[in-house]
Order: sequence, then C-alpha cells, then structure tokens
Amino acid sequence: MYQFNSKYELKSLLRNGWIQLMTLLLLGLFLFAFYNGNEKVDKRKNDIQAAFNEVKESDQNMLILLDSVQRGMEVSASRWTIPTKPMAVGNYHPRVAAMNPGPLAFVATGQSDLFSHYIKPKASGDDMALNFTEISNPVQQLFGSFDLAFVIIYLLPLIIIAFTYNVLSSEKESGTLRLLASQPISMRSWVFQKMGIRLFWVVLMIGVVLILVSVIIPSGVNIVELLPVFGVTLGYIFFWFALAFAVNLWVGSSSKNAIALIGLWLVFVLLIPSVLNQMGNALYPMPSRTLMINEMRSAKAEATKKQDQILDNFLRDHPEYAINDPNQNRSFYHRYMASQQLVREELQPVVGRFEQQLQNQQQWISQLKWISPAIIVQQELNALAGSSTKDYENYRKQVTAFAESWRQHLLPFLYSNEPFSTDDYENLPEFQYQRLTSDTTLISIIALVFIALIGVILGFLKGVGSQSTEKFITQ
Amino acid sequence: MIRSTLIKELRELLRDGRVRISFFIVLLLIAVATWISKTQYTITNQQYQQADNEERAVWENQGEKNPHSAAHYGTYAFKPKYPLSLVDQGVDKFTGTSIFLEAHKRNEAQFSQAADQTGLARFGDLTPDFVLLFIIPLLIVFLGYNAFTKEREMGTLVLLKSQGTPIWKLILGKWLALFLPVFTIVFLLFIVAGIVLSNLENFGVFNWQSLGMLFLIYMGYYFIFINLVLFISLKMKKSGIALVVALATWILACLAVPKAASNIAESKHPYPTRQEFASNILQDQKEGLDGHDPWNKQAKLLEQKVLKEYKVDSLEQLPFNFDAYRMQKGEEHTAEIYLKHYKHLKTQFEEQSKLYRGLAVLSPFLPARFMSMAIANTDYATHWHFADAAENYRVELQASLNGNFAENSAYGEWSYRANADTWKNMPQFGYDPPELGETLTTNTSNLVILSVWVLGTFLLLFFTTKKL
Repeated sequence: MYQFNSKYELKSLLRNGWIQLMTLLLLGLFLFAFYNGNEKVDKRKNDIQAAFNEVKESDQNMLILLDSVQRGMEVSASRWTIPTKPMAVGNYHPRVAAMNPGPLAFVATGQSDLFSHYIKPKASGDDMALNFTEISNPVQQLFGSFDLAFVIIYLLPLIIIAFTYNVLSSEKESGTLRLLASQPISMRSWVFQKMGIRLFWVVLMIGVVLILVSVIIPSGVNIVELLPVFGVTLGYIFFWFALAFAVNLWVGSSSKNAIALIGLWLVFVLLIPSVLNQMGNALYPMPSRTLMINEMRSAKAEATKKQDQILDNFLRDHPEYAINDPNQNRSFYHRYMASQQLVREELQPVVGRFEQQLQNQQQWISQLKWISPAIIVQQELNALAGSSTKDYENYRKQVTAFAESWRQHLLPFLYSNEPFSTDDYENLPEFQYQRLTSDTTLISIIALVFIALIGVILGFLKGVGSQSTEKFITQ
Repeated sequence: MIRSTLIKELRELLRDGRVRISFFIVLLLIAVATWISKTQYTITNQQYQQADNEERAVWENQGEKNPHSAAHYGTYAFKPKYPLSLVDQGVDKFTGTSIFLEAHKRNEAQFSQAADQTGLARFGDLTPDFVLLFIIPLLIVFLGYNAFTKEREMGTLVLLKSQGTPIWKLILGKWLALFLPVFTIVFLLFIVAGIVLSNLENFGVFNWQSLGMLFLIYMGYYFIFINLVLFISLKMKKSGIALVVALATWILACLAVPKAASNIAESKHPYPTRQEFASNILQDQKEGLDGHDPWNKQAKLLEQKVLKEYKVDSLEQLPFNFDAYRMQKGEEHTAEIYLKHYKHLKTQFEEQSKLYRGLAVLSPFLPARFMSMAIANTDYATHWHFADAAENYRVELQASLNGNFAENSAYGEWSYRANADTWKNMPQFGYDPPELGETLTTNTSNLVILSVWVLGTFLLLFFTTKKL
C-alpha cells in the first residue's frame, strides 16, 4: 500500500504542478536571499579592506616623517601631529579593530545592520566615545533584510502550510475519502504517509536548491560548512510538517485547516517572540541612556574640577599649546590620561549596567526560546552567522580591551618622555577578532525534532479507539 | 438588496465562532499594545524632561570659564517623543535620541533603543502600529476570503442569481459587511488613543486633526485590502484556494516587498560607513582652515586679509581677539564641510525614498507605512529635521561663544574667563516637529500613490465583474 500511495502522490503532485511550482519558488527565494546576504558581506569585507589600506597609507607617511625627524630634517606637518610624540601616534594613527565576517555571515543579517564592523580606537578618547552603531537609513532596519534567515523562518512555514493544509480535507471534499476508507490502512498512517512523501520532497528540494544556489552564487562557502544551517532548517521543517499533520487530523475542512495553521504561524513567528521580548524588557528594563548622559557629564565635570588650574582645562582642549609651552610639555597628557583613567573607572558601573541588563535579557530568551521554534531557529542562525547580540557584545568587549592595550602600549613612551621611533613601529599592537562559535546547534536541532515529535504524537492520538476512520468521514 | 446582504453577512459573521475568537484576539492585542505604548511613552517623556532640565543646569552652572572651554564642554540636544508615537512608533527605535553639541564637530544622534535590545526585538514589537499594519489586514483576509466562494460552494449562488439584483449591489453589501467590523475596531482604538493623549499632561502638542488624518490613512489602507480580498473571492472557485491566494497577497505586500525593497535601496544607494564618513570629513578639513592652528596656511591667509581690512599691521592692534575670530572662521568652515557631507547623506536618503515609492506599485503597505510614520512624526524625515535643528543651534551657540571671546579679550589672552552668568543668557535649545500641513505637503507623492491604490482596487472590484 505504501508503494501505491507514494507513487500516486508523486504523480498527482507532478501533474497539478505543485512540485514544479515549489521548486521554482524555493529556487527564486533562496537565490534572492543568497544574493542579498552575499552583497552585504562583500560590502562589509570591502569596507574593512579599504580601512586597512587607508591605515597602511597613513603608516607609510608616518614612517617617512619619523625617518626625516630622526635624521634631523625639517618637516612641514603640524607640530603636535609629528609621530615622535607617542600620543600623536596614539591619536592620529589608530589601528583598525575589525570584525571580519565568518564564512556563514550571509545566512542571517541579525544585528549586523545596527553595528559598525570596524572601529579605530584612539589613545586619548574615552571608551564612552566609541560609537559602535552604524549610520544608516533606519527604514532599512525597520523593514529588515530579505536574507536566508527570513526565507527560512517566515516563508518556509507558509510554503509548507500551502503544501499540506488540505491533505486529508481535499479527499473528503472531493469525495474520494470513502473509497480510501475501504482500503486496509488506518486513516492516521495514511495521512502520515502522505505527509512523509511531501516532507521528503521538500527536504530534497531544499537540499538541491541549497547546492544549486551555492554553485550559482559563489560565496566562498563550501557545502560542508552549510550543513549546520541545513540541519536547523530540517528541524524547523519537521516541526511545521508535524503541526500540519496534527491539524489535518484534528481540524476539519480545508479552509478551517488553513486558518488554524496560519493562526499557529502567527502565534509562533510573530506573537510569542514579541510578547517574550516585551516581557524581557519589563523584567530587565534597560536603564535610560538619556539619564546616563547626565551621570556621565557630572562624572566628567568632577574630574575636570580636580584638575584645578584653568590652564590645564584649556590645554586639555588644545594639545597644540601644551607642546608649545615648555613647562607643560610633560604634565598635560600626564594629567589628562590620568583623569581619563579616573572617569573610566567611575563610569564603569554605569556602563556595566547596560551590558548586564542586556545579558539578563539574553539569558531570559535562552531559557524561554523553547516555546517557539521560530525563536530557536532565529537565535541559532544568528549565532551561526556570527551576527547575534552575543557576537556584538563579544566584539565590543574585545575592542574596549584593545583600546586599553593600545593606550598601555604608548603610555610608557609618554611617561619616560621617550620619542617614538621607526623601530617601535613593528611592535605596535594589532587587533585580532576572536569569533564565538555556536555550541548549541545540535541541542537546537534535537529540540526542534523533539517538538515535532510531540506534534506527530498529538496527531496520532486523534481517533484512537474503534471506528476511527468513520469519524473522519462523517466529521 | 445592499441592506439585506449587509445584515445577512453580519449575522453570519457574528454566528461564526472563528470570527468571534479572532475579533476578540485582535481587540485584546490592541488593548495590550496600547497600554504598553502608553506606559513607555510616559516613562520616556519623564526621562526626557529630567535629562533636559539637568543638562541645562549643568550648562548654566559651569562657573567662570573661557568661552571656548565651554564650547568644548558642550551640551546635549535631546529628542522628545511625540504624542502620536503612541499609535505608530515608526523608526524611533532605530534612531538615536541625543546629540552632543560641541565645538568643531557635528555629532550624530547617539543611543538608539534597538542597539540596546536583543536579537529577539527584530521580530517586531507588540505596538499599535504592528496590529494596525499587519494584523488587521490579516483579519480582513480571514473575514472575507470566502465572501463569494461560499455562495458558490453552498449552491446559494443560483438563488442569488435568480433575484436579479445587479452585481454591484451584492458586492457593495458584502463590502460593507467586511468594512463595518474593521471600522469599529480601528475607530475604538483611535478614540481611546485620543482620549488617553489629551489627558496626558504637558507632553508635546497633540491635535485631533493629525489623529483624524492618521485614521483616514489607515482606512484607505484597509479599503485596499477589502477590495483585494473580495476581488480574489470573486475570481476563485474554491474557498481554500481563495484563502491561499489572499494570504499570499498579504505576505507579499506586508512582509516580502518591504524587506526586498530595503535590500535594494541599501545596495543601490548605500550610505558610507561611520568611519568612512568621519575620515572623508577629516580629509576635507585638512585642506581647509583650522581654527586652532595659527601656523596653518589658510590661517596665515586669513591673518593677512584681516590686517589689510582693518588697516593695522599687527594682530594686537585689532579691536577684537584675533584668536577667537580665527576660531569662529574655522567653525564656519567646518560647519560648511559638515553641511556638504550631510547633504550627501541626505541625497542618498532621498534616492532611497524614491526607490521605496517606486516599489509601492507592488505593495500598498509601503505608502501606508510611510504616511503613518510621517503624520506621527516618527519617520526618518522628522529625525533629519530634528538633527538639522540641533546643528543650527550648535552653529549659533558657537558663534555667540566665539563672539563673547572675541569682544571681551585681547589677542593672545587665553586666560580670559567669561563670568558665571554668561551661560544662563545663552538661548536654550527648543525643537518643534513639522506641522501636519507641512508633513502632508512633503509627503504628497505617498498620498497620491495610496489614493491610486484605493481607486484602482475599487475599479478592479466593481467594474471587472459582469456576472457571477
């Protein structure tokens, strides 16, 4: 019977054009999503490369200047920018701290449209002044990106729903169910088989489309690296098929099924995430950034007062005069860097509060994400792509640490009044971004399959007992 | 006949359990969303008031100081939240709320709410605009997909035909039956929003006209969906198919096209990165006048020009402090450079907006979204308006600080300190968002596109069907 069933299904799916339509639809959607994701990653790479090139160029100039000064020649640059001064190196020749995209970055835009992917921390800037957000048209952020994650999380379930909502009801509505009921097979296993065949086709097509698309659009990613993405997608597909299976058995007519499934889609994909987000915000509210500015201002004002002299105040704003004044030559940056250190320390708890709350919210989501497979998939794809909240937090921390080591590398020159020379150039610290790896992929896939199994069991529970087939027909 | 169709349809809807449940859910969603937004709105505005007052106090109590030190010390411009953000939050979450105003530099607005949220927030927030723009069209699909197909399926179509009523009367009856529930929900929401807003004390300017206009925009948006859903129901043979087609339309209009549009806009007319933008400005500044650098070539030229103009031969003989004068000239020069670069950003933004308008052919969601945000003063254009106002204030503040410095001190007198009262006398930053009339004029094209959609779908529904 199974053989007949699958043969018949395949034939009818091919004849009414479902398989062809679906392949084309999937191919089109995946192609567009791949293309968009790739474009974003390419832009990111190019931007970072351009920044490195710029630094390289300015380093060449710096080395030439250094060389001239060391050989006692007259140079035309403004005096306070001459790189024998360590602070001039620290402020006018910062390094690029770049967050290079990982191999799967094109999969999910995630938070990457909000943040910068390279920053040049200066020695005298405070960490508060490091702005990690990117300038962009907020409309793009509001609408979101048409990336692979969008196709998988939002559209794939809808395609599955369109493919499966009337598996049982259409037979009933066209009157063929009575014929089927005469066959020696239980209604549940029959629907299960039909679903299984469709599931097989969807999975096969997605596999083929993924391979095809990664051949058409060369993103430098090999198929093996795509496997985790494929695994998560598979788990998500299982879940929606299981849901459709249960709804087909429990609900009734085609339109009722469709409405029930769309309702569930709405609940899992739109409502649960936004309600959880809202609750997370209510439980762990972010402190106000505007009020933080007030605190920051008073901390800085305090620090400024401690630098008693008005000349100091003035010189802080005007390093060029600090250099002109022989008496202040050493004490200006000495005092300034010291007071900066103080402000940083004082503001640490204020800034830390934000990071802490963000972590709390993230924690809250990781505990409750199991309620909706859509959240599991979103979090997992973002983590694989390296564009999750955690990744950017990790990057921020690394950059702040790098800013500190940049300062600490140059401060000894400042305090010992030693000029920076061409030999020291080699030893300047470089930033290397350490990527996070996602270790939850397998757990996520298992969880998705487990949730899917619950759906299948729910479906099988329908009509357990005698005369179950009759119920389906007369329902 | 219109009336009896209407009554019959409404009765059917009322008796349908699914309709009652979905109606109830939508009402609940709206109530929760409005309550959340209201709480958020009140808290944000209290914080804004507090921050604004404290910042002004910090500025006024600087004590005796060199005006240029005060300029570097700077001040902040905070962006208030506007009453109608209760209905549509727009892009508020993604734009910064405070701009640091200091000497020599135009800063971007800092601290967007989205940057402080987890990735979950990208699914969307439970706000009234989410319900109005996404959920209610979906409700229309659910209520109306089988308006005509059910007649076909139940065989009542034959009976209807025998009545000999013109089709348009039948369509109009069904149309009204679909429209009335939607109208009731949205009308309730807007009345409640209006009452809530007019009872909040001293928070921004709320007027009923804007709210009314917003209501009209949403009505237009729903007209389009009602027309499309009924049209699909007319043309399809089976309820199931009609539902799938209507849903596909919804997905395309509300989800797929906006996202695709965002990708296209971004890749066709990209913004520079923050670092790129900053280094481009730096590049331009290097070539121009540096107010701080007396040895700069441009500074030397300025020196000669001023000496010639006042017919004196040394800077000490000038009736004002040349240091401050040069600084002001430098300030004006940088302001120009910033203007140029921000103009470039603005051009990109306008190009992107044009692209969105072009793609509105595919989705009525786009013009409705843009109109709604614009009227609620939560769109990107309002943000630009605010940022420009802050920049104008900054330029004026710098001019008056440098003016104070130039008039009250002699050349080289860097130790000059303005007295403690100076800061109180400087004007305070104030900002008024564009009025309704102004918003409508700048958004005429979106308004036109929306109207074309409304008219077009009405024509489609009433004039393309000759017989059932």
